[in-house]
Amino acid sequence: MKRITIYTAFVASLVLSGNAFSQSINWQSLDKEQRHIININAGAEYGSTVGAGYGYQLKSKLPIVLNLELSFPTGDKLTDDFKTKIGGYIRLYQINNFQFSAKIQGVFRRYENSLASLVNFGSEMTGTVGYYKPKWFFAGEAGFDKAIVTHFKHSTVYKQNFPSVKDGWYEPATGGNFHYGLQTGYSFRRNDIYLKAGKLVSQDFNTTPLLPFYLQIGYNIRL
Amino acid sequence: MKKAKFCIPLLICLISLCGCKKENLITEEGNLVPKTVEQDPTLPSISINGTMLHAEAFGNPDSAMVVVLHGGPGSDYRHLLNCKELASAGYYVIFYDQRGSGLSKRYSKSSYSTQVMLDDLSAVIAHYRKSNNQKVFLLGHSWGAILATAFINKYPTVISGTILAEPGGFTWADIEGYVSRSRDIKITSELISDFLYADQFITGKKDQHAILDYKYALLSAADGDKDNPIGDEGALPFWRPGAVVNQALFELGDKEKPDWTTHLHKYNTRVLFVYSERNRAYGLAYAQKVSSAYANVQLFKVNGAGHDMLSFPTGWSNFYPVALNYLNSLK
Repeated sequence: MKRITIYTAFVASLVLSGNAFSQSINWQSLDKEQRHIININAGAEYGSTVGAGYGYQLKSKLPIVLNLELSFPTGDKLTDDFKTKIGGYIRLYQINNFQFSAKIQGVFRRYENSLASLVNFGSEMTGTVGYYKPKWFFAGEAGFDKAIVTHFKHSTVYKQNFPSVKDGWYEPATGGNFHYGLQTGYSFRRNDIYLKAGKLVSQDFNTTPLLPFYLQIGYNIRL
Repeated sequence: MKKAKFCIPLLICLISLCGCKKENLITEEGNLVPKTVEQDPTLPSISINGTMLHAEAFGNPDSAMVVVLHGGPGSDYRHLLNCKELASAGYYVIFYDQRGSGLSKRYSKSSYSTQVMLDDLSAVIAHYRKSNNQKVFLLGHSWGAILATAFINKYPTVISGTILAEPGGFTWADIEGYVSRSRDIKITSELISDFLYADQFITGKKDQHAILDYKYALLSAADGDKDNPIGDEGALPFWRPGAVVNQALFELGDKEKPDWTTHLHKYNTRVLFVYSERNRAYGLAYAQKVSSAYANVQLFKVNGAGHDMLSFPTGWSNFYPVALNYLNSLK
């Protein structure tokens, strides 16, 4: 039963969730023959972060880019916290220069401090509506990031404080944050430089994360 | 397109595999954080002022009382248990987790006020006090020292003496300034990542205390970090922090801009005001500024310690003789 619950939650979240932080694409400057998009980025997303990504454009009627992303928060221990995403980015509609696109990704992320390490499977989705020209674009985005199932493992320090703490997988979904914001970019030759920023709010709409906004500057090269 | 159709089911399978083991409920008390006195009757508790508080007392009940007030708001008294030593020096030492904190009963955010915290303190004193002649001292750390001052400001004749350890301030402007300085941390540091990154894993809804308190507990990992300006030697022991009371009292402060100094001039008893050597957000000048709200102050720097000077061996060994002399002089 619990397996079914997790399965259902994951599928539902793929439909309902969103992603603010992944690479941005100027659909108007993306040539059909450009199959590979390599991205680097830096910014603020639950901390100061650096990241990289790879996108592969499929040969399809609608523009679809499959992508893989990896990001880390900065700090002394670079690999104790990280986030990976795998998914797809599709441009669904185009009316002249106005375009609507959606991104759906599965997320695997890890967090560790001196008290606990958390491993989470989740999902993100963003809907983006914007005005795209070959040299520049401006768009609005909104979506949801769902932490579906999380494994908790506690350190000796935490167990000294609370010996009966239960390590293991936890349900129901342990977290979820909505986001909304703006993105803009400039494209030249095979390159894009973009900036995106917005706000975060928890799924109950009453609270915000400690860092209640996101900001990312990124660079794509299309090959 | 075929690849896209393949990737999502693959991820779903991975998630499903993770679901094979028995899962725990994140909302269940006792899984990630200990149960409170309301849920665990084996814990030492008192029922006062319409609530249940986790509380303990040590020493001769007829001796002069020392009521220990923990910080936060929302922390607990576990890291202040060194103060038990005062019991063997002839004092009746009272510890309690404030309403919504530690292992005491939880409430919704809207139920909190400074006055209810003061009423609880009055009720705790009344609960343990054996006679009207029994002297009552307050020993407050951080927010606990602010609470002690708010109490003295409101009831200047009740308290026989007070020890205040690094209160953030007695006016909201001072508190805001101190909190800002104490969080002056490099944005790219590991400490900031430890603070912020967990927000995407856990987001409790209001009144989901088990989740909110656990999330708040994870933040305490930053206590002993080398980048933390408050200068502690390590992480503090704790039972269970109270996330909602912490948020409630900070929001109330921001809204009401309290000034807890308005009647302190009526309190002429000498106050022992201590600050730590290593807290970069405090220091002598700020200790002089904050303590000047009292008419009669004994200022003391605790060497070799940070903000939680009462919780680690060096700080405690430097603090204790001074505190004991102070209490004995007023006993």
